[in-house]
Amino acid sequence: MTETVEGVPLVLYLAVSGALFLLGLLGVMIRRNPLLMLLAIELLLNSANLALVGFSRYWNVSDGHVFALVVMVVAATEVVIGLGLVVAVFRQRLALDVDELSRLKG
Amino acid sequence: MAEQIVFGFAAASTLVSAVLVITLRQPFRATVALIGALLSVAVLFLLLAAPFVAVIQVIVYAGAIVVLFLFVIAYLGERPVAEIGDRLGRYQVFAWLAVIGLAIQGVVVLATTQLPGVREDPRAVDDIGSPEAIGRSFIDTYIVPFEATSLALLVAAVGAVLLAKRAVRAEGGR
Repeated sequence: MTETVEGVPLVLYLAVSGALFLLGLLGVMIRRNPLLMLLAIELLLNSANLALVGFSRYWNVSDGHVFALVVMVVAATEVVIGLGLVVAVFRQRLALDVDELSRLKG
Repeated sequence: MAEQIVFGFAAASTLVSAVLVITLRQPFRATVALIGALLSVAVLFLLLAAPFVAVIQVIVYAGAIVVLFLFVIAYLGERPVAEIGDRLGRYQVFAWLAVIGLAIQGVVVLATTQLPGVREDPRAVDDIGSPEAIGRSFIDTYIVPFEATSLALLVAAVGAVLLAKRAVRAEGGR
């Protein structure tokens, strides 16, 4: 398999990944609702996955795929803990606002 | 040529969905927009010769994780959500500055990179995205990260149970 294929160059995938990362970063920084922040963190993790898989294709190795899968598992654990915290805050009748939740002991 | 068209649609759909995720106020709508972004990224994975990762993206992300989000949002119900408030308003300019600075850096790096072939059509690749290749890579090379991942899952499960228990006790019930 040495012939060239018609395709999309890596730099475009990296551009999409970078744009996705910036949008996620903006979402994390301007939102105060922890649920919306968790959604924006999903965008960040997906942009990292896109870059990993893109470079995996570029270097013709499976390593990027492996780490993309690891990132997905980490995302799942992060969502479980994050949503657990959201539910715990909600049951204490507190506002869902990360600014109000600045103290750990309460 | 077909690949470029599919890429264009998937990339545009990814970015539009991502903008919707961070601009929609209601958590439910933002989560539905996130499904769009995740499915578009799955299409990009398919174009990158990564069918297994794309399938896992749909099953685990668009399936399990988003369902968890929707379940919690349904459990919390519609309630007035905190929004960009006055107190954070003066810090918001720093968020924009950071994002714009990073964007400029990214554009400069992508425009001046010297990686060979990064702007040409990609070369044909071997069988790197099949479950077999990924499984071999997991077991042969990355056995320690694999086990660390399972440990992280275990810790997350125990932590979620403890959180739920403590919340119930704080409520004074059961």
